[in-house]
Amino acid sequence: MKSKAPSAPYLLWMAIFTIVPLGLVVYFALTTADGTFTIDNISRVGEYSGVLMHSIWLAAIATFICLVIAYPLAFYISRKPENKQRTLLMLCIIPMWMNFLLRTYAWMTLLEKNGLINRFFALFGMGPFNMINTKGAVVLGMVYNYLPFMILPLYSIMVKIDGRVIEAAQDLGANTYGVFSKVVLPLSMPGIRSGITMVFVPAISTFIISRMLGGGGNIMIGDLIDLQFLGNAYNPNLGAAISLVLMVLILLCMSITNQFDEEMEGMMI
Amino acid sequence: MGDNIIISLKDIVVEYDGERVLEGLNLDIHDKEFVTFLGPSGCGKTTTLRIIGGFIEPLKGDVYFEGKRINSLPPYKRQVNTVFQRYALFPHLNVFENVAFGLRLKKMSEKVIKERVQEMLALVNLTGFEKRSVHQLSGGQQQRVAIARALVNHPKVLLLDEPLGALDLKLRKEMQLELKRIQQSLGITFIYVTHDQEEALTMSDTVVVMKDGDIQQIGTPIDIYNEPRNAFVADFIGESNIIDGVMHKDFLVEFAGRDFVCVDKGFDPDERIDVVVRPEDIKVVPPIQGHLSGIVESIIFKGVHYEMIVRACGYNWMIHSTIAEQPGDTIGMVINPEDIHIMKKMEEA
Repeated sequence: MKSKAPSAPYLLWMAIFTIVPLGLVVYFALTTADGTFTIDNISRVGEYSGVLMHSIWLAAIATFICLVIAYPLAFYISRKPENKQRTLLMLCIIPMWMNFLLRTYAWMTLLEKNGLINRFFALFGMGPFNMINTKGAVVLGMVYNYLPFMILPLYSIMVKIDGRVIEAAQDLGANTYGVFSKVVLPLSMPGIRSGITMVFVPAISTFIISRMLGGGGNIMIGDLIDLQFLGNAYNPNLGAAISLVLMVLILLCMSITNQFDEEMEGMMI
Repeated sequence: MGDNIIISLKDIVVEYDGERVLEGLNLDIHDKEFVTFLGPSGCGKTTTLRIIGGFIEPLKGDVYFEGKRINSLPPYKRQVNTVFQRYALFPHLNVFENVAFGLRLKKMSEKVIKERVQEMLALVNLTGFEKRSVHQLSGGQQQRVAIARALVNHPKVLLLDEPLGALDLKLRKEMQLELKRIQQSLGITFIYVTHDQEEALTMSDTVVVMKDGDIQQIGTPIDIYNEPRNAFVADFIGESNIIDGVMHKDFLVEFAGRDFVCVDKGFDPDERIDVVVRPEDIKVVPPIQGHLSGIVESIIFKGVHYEMIVRACGYNWMIHSTIAEQPGDTIGMVINPEDIHIMKKMEEA
């Protein structure tokens, strides 16, 4: 047995910054402003079930689009020679070096009624199209911002797939589809799983993107929580309750995907 | 060994990044033959194998399989299967499913799949390992799975790309015999790639010695060993002493400062040639009885024999002998005419 001593700082860190705050969220969620126990906050979350469903739906669409875009891209990068892989990955990550708010602002100016895209279409006598303050704009913002979080885990799993294993499948009679469905897909399942987690979780709780690109009509669960803590609706107890429900929902979603994966993977290690 | 040519390569040229890997390679492979491509790394042997497997399309030239041109036929449509370097087993499948992979793609019935997989696992001595994960197997066992996975599809030709490279010496020797046994019992063509000359000599019906994208010699192991066509082949197949010489006339060669009678002829008068003498063909005798005399520089015990380096006439001679001489001793060396092999000088020399 290895000594547990080296993990002490980490355990301390966890206790202070993860367990205690989590406990506080639970405490706030189950109390009123003056500190007496109540489950009213939790039951009031039901009033916002529409917002919850809307958030889950938009986040799920964005996650799916990210997966569809990132999967072939990550596979393409993982099959390149090592030095090219590094360059291509860098190109995927560079947008992340820019501030998140700026990136989203940029989309605002692009999508606006008098934005660049509409002005471009106007040259051909088309439009203007109504793009800003729509669900589509929110999903676009999510896909744009979270795409690297899908590419990276997929890439890191796919780069470990030995090219000879793919050749072996071809050699044994698998055409392109067979190679994909019988070898590449099952071997990249762990990457798909972590990619979905890395995109879905931040997407479902985002508030900046929906506020900037979605306008008033596309309020998301993140906006709702933000309103309870920093906004006009000031009610930290309700905010904590919504957070708690969201957390449970995310855990549920994750365990369902994991279950699904385990069935798909079979004997996968 | 059949007389029918099953695979024929004609004037094959392959380039990687503008660098020629194969330069107009021509080769016929017969049905039911155990052929080995032998050569140092970078000689083009694996490239040649991959052309046959369909993983590389040659820049120029033609590949024929049973008389049909198959240059751009994709691997999954070819009647050949490959045992890859380091096996390339499917890590997400167990032993049974690895072997069954090709059969499932052909949509065979569960019953037939089961029968054929069992039969193959029996052939490679892995009965009872069906449910094991491939990670639980030793290198030798993984190797057997890779062979079974390829052979279960009843290929007409099995390609093996340095399949024993990762195994230890003892296991390698066992697998060599086993591969030969499998090849003979199935009666199909094996094309085997290796850089290990001993492996090539042990298993092959035909050895193709390659260097720099070119074939140096094709022949039976005995031919290649006893009658190497040039100094490269002589040096690569077993140990050799290669000495500069001059062929005065038929059956008379001068090297190491004196004339020797030999059994070769057909060279130009006084043509400069390479003389090749195998280390085991030099007899150690008392100094006055020898054709040459030299001083022992070093001696190593090799098991069956001693390996001595002897300095004589400006050359270091390697001699394999069962008699041990001490470094510093002067010894005599006798070389019989039939053990002197005369080779034309290689182009770059």
